[in-house]
Amino acid sequence: MCPAMRTKSDNPTPGAAAAATAATASSDLDSFDPVLLLLRFLPYSFLRPPRTRLRLPSSVVLPSPMTVFSLLLLTYFAVVSGLVYDVIVEPPGIGSTQDPATGTVRPIVFLPGRVNGQYIIEGLSSGFMFLLGGFGLIFMDLAVDRHRARSTRLSFAMFGISAVVIAYLMTMLFIRIKIPGYLW
Amino acid sequence: MGAKAGSSPPVVPPPASSATSFFPSINGLKLKTKQQELLIRVSILALVYVLAFAIRLFSVLRYESMIHEFDPYFNYRTTLFLTEKGFYEFWNWFDFESWYPLGRIIGGTLYPGLMVTAALIYWTLRFLRFAVHIREVCVLTAPFFASNTTIVAYFFGKEIWDSGAGLVAAALIAICPGYISRSVAGSYDNEGVAIFALLLTFYLFVKAVNTGSLAWALASAFGYFYMVSAWGGYVFIINLVPLYVLVLLVTGRYSMRLYIAYNCMYVLGMLLAMQIRFVGFQHVQSGEHMAAMGVFFLLQVFYFLDWVKFTLNDPKLFYSFLRIALTCAISVGSLALGVGMATGYISPWTGRFYSLLDPTYAKDHIPIIASVSEHQPTAWSSFMFDFHILLFLFPAGLYFCFKRLSDATIFIVMYGLTSMYFAGVMVRLILVAAPAVCLISSIAVSATLKNLTMLIRAKNNATPMGSSKGTASLKASAKLIFMHFQASSFDQPLPYQRNVAIALLLGAFYLLSRYAIHCTWVTSEAYSSPSIVLAARGAHGGRVIFDDYREAYFWLRKNTPADAKIMSWWDYGYQITAMGNRTVIVDNNTWNNTHIATVGRAMSSYEDEAYDIMKSLDVDYVLVVFGGVTGYSSDDINKFLWMVRIGGGVFSVIKEPEYLVNGEYRVDKGAAPKMLNCLMYKLCYYRFGEVTTEYGKPPGYDRARGVEIGNKDVKLEYLEEAFTTSNWIIRIYKVKPPKNRW
Repeated sequence: MCPAMRTKSDNPTPGAAAAATAATASSDLDSFDPVLLLLRFLPYSFLRPPRTRLRLPSSVVLPSPMTVFSLLLLTYFAVVSGLVYDVIVEPPGIGSTQDPATGTVRPIVFLPGRVNGQYIIEGLSSGFMFLLGGFGLIFMDLAVDRHRARSTRLSFAMFGISAVVIAYLMTMLFIRIKIPGYLW
Repeated sequence: MGAKAGSSPPVVPPPASSATSFFPSINGLKLKTKQQELLIRVSILALVYVLAFAIRLFSVLRYESMIHEFDPYFNYRTTLFLTEKGFYEFWNWFDFESWYPLGRIIGGTLYPGLMVTAALIYWTLRFLRFAVHIREVCVLTAPFFASNTTIVAYFFGKEIWDSGAGLVAAALIAICPGYISRSVAGSYDNEGVAIFALLLTFYLFVKAVNTGSLAWALASAFGYFYMVSAWGGYVFIINLVPLYVLVLLVTGRYSMRLYIAYNCMYVLGMLLAMQIRFVGFQHVQSGEHMAAMGVFFLLQVFYFLDWVKFTLNDPKLFYSFLRIALTCAISVGSLALGVGMATGYISPWTGRFYSLLDPTYAKDHIPIIASVSEHQPTAWSSFMFDFHILLFLFPAGLYFCFKRLSDATIFIVMYGLTSMYFAGVMVRLILVAAPAVCLISSIAVSATLKNLTMLIRAKNNATPMGSSKGTASLKASAKLIFMHFQASSFDQPLPYQRNVAIALLLGAFYLLSRYAIHCTWVTSEAYSSPSIVLAARGAHGGRVIFDDYREAYFWLRKNTPADAKIMSWWDYGYQITAMGNRTVIVDNNTWNNTHIATVGRAMSSYEDEAYDIMKSLDVDYVLVVFGGVTGYSSDDINKFLWMVRIGGGVFSVIKEPEYLVNGEYRVDKGAAPKMLNCLMYKLCYYRFGEVTTEYGKPPGYDRARGVEIGNKDVKLEYLEEAFTTSNWIIRIYKVKPPKNRW
């Protein structure tokens, strides 16, 4: 909890001793505030804070923003590749059709006919393309940073630009395969 | 937020003079940079406003100005009632024309925001002496509010990032297909107004948290009231805002501004929400609203502890007090929650919202929710259709938000992620995610464009700095010397930096124009069909219009007695009441599952059993939708499995395996005998065995299923055919009175 993190805590002391130290240490608080007086004396005259062994372990620290960010990107990848659809509708990983002439089984990667339907693998590959495009833009922003080495900036920039181009072209290809009448 | 380097710089003469040379003096007036910027911004916003309205007008231009789909007909009928009878009659309306023996308390079971809004617009226009019909106002309400949403998106973008991002956000959301799908002209549904209210509430709340002003907090409470009156999706706001407060508390961003904003919004918003009869006391009684109350108390505990810490001035004493207070608060809170849930005062999550958290729940327990096609989970292609390049820009926008974390960006990140998760669970909720995705993408676009233009405008180190800024020359030269002192590999521009940046800028322009083309194409092809009028391509490429639905409803209106009762599947109830003006047995409100199951049972029983049920419900006419002649695939035979499932869910007489052959529903020779003789089959295929539908196929060939039907010789004993539309899409049968007893 946040307040516990803000206060620097040391070992819990028994209530009576705390009250005594408070009375001597804060003698400068000559306050007229009755609530304050109540607070200072009343709970501790009959309540003793329990000597619990429970303490918030000091290793519990908020994760860094970049850790949270990578977790969020993972969630985004799962959602946008249709993971919920896969769990509920349980489509096959990849579709198959039989070649009428030879009788061999040919795989079909993209579920034809509907906009709101997919096989598992096509969902994952499209999700990956979206994420690749996002990463491309992120790397392009990292390349603009003037405090990095020039070679690093150059490689970031080239990776970023190629990632965006590839992701966009592949996504357009996927959607054209899936929906034959796209943009026509 | 605020001005960053690159946007509206303070007036510095040399760059300003190079910029003003592009803008010739207007009437001898030289516009300063700030005025130019204002002119650009206002004109962009005006163009975006008009664009958002114009792109939604496809179906009005192609067909005519009419209401689409099913639900909007109910909204239209209630708005008509409101404008004719006044607000008090509307608020106390008991409708005996639907759910036949039961009736429906309309005043207490609808969200009045949409109807009141349309009525207010109508009365305003009438006051200004524009003689419009209420139907035109209803048809154009959604595009009007979509335009208003773009303005709110501009201000929201300005709040979380800067005005450049706001402009991009307004432009993106104006044409985003995810939003257009539910707000075309003619789609007179709650969502058209609700998304505006949602974004407005969120913007006002974020503004309140940023400024800590009481006025903004109260405004957000009123925005929340408008949202509650408009749509049942307000539950999203009342859960997202407490979650946001919790995240701010956990990340150590508690402040007085947050305290003021949340307290005002929660208390006043809750009191205002209770004014809507449909919502009633749910804010204190329903499990879905308990998160907000819990966070409210948690915030009070935070404030109390903060104040105690401030007054005590003693860390050790405060720490012991902290532990006592926390123990008390947690025990009291959980005790209250436990008592509330045990006594049943706090109701658990309703099925509709619970199925969002556990998507498998609806499939097993609530067939009605599972049967709606909009409630299916989302595949990647639906996302792509509705968002296009925004799917790339979303992760990049998240990255930029995390780079510059503030209270506002944390909010937009949370809104974006929670709404994307819900959009993945249900296709319909892509609409709720659309504003968040547009805002986050606009941050990515704005930041990337800023980087690129910064690269283009950066002064090259090799060229002499003779033409540098006139003012602040000391600072400039000092910077220049400092830059020369830098180590060799740092701070040097990349090769061909300016050219590559210009090429990338053109690439960004290309991507955004592809987005615009995609959105226009999707709107034109996929989202502008009125659903009540069907269109198809004829043999020579011309368009063929099937207006059977309206033909049938008009026939009902003119050729049946005024108190006739129509039995049909619940999909068509609203349209029959609104256009046919007749009483129906069940309609789209689906509030009574047993009543729907009764109709389902009647449709799937043999004719004599169904006749008993129909007599008990006083049914005069039966209406079925049949797509066998035209190949229309959303007809009642394709929906038959839901009639069996829902009917069988309540009445164990209906057993689904009796209709199945090898696990599928068939209508050809190999179909189950119960299927070939049930009422729905007979009503759909009566006299169909004599019809030749396609050249080269035998008579009785069902074009929607692609098979020749099994039972061509259908004889009806208790019903007689009353009307079949010109393309056989709607068939109406009259229920014969019982035979005379001897």
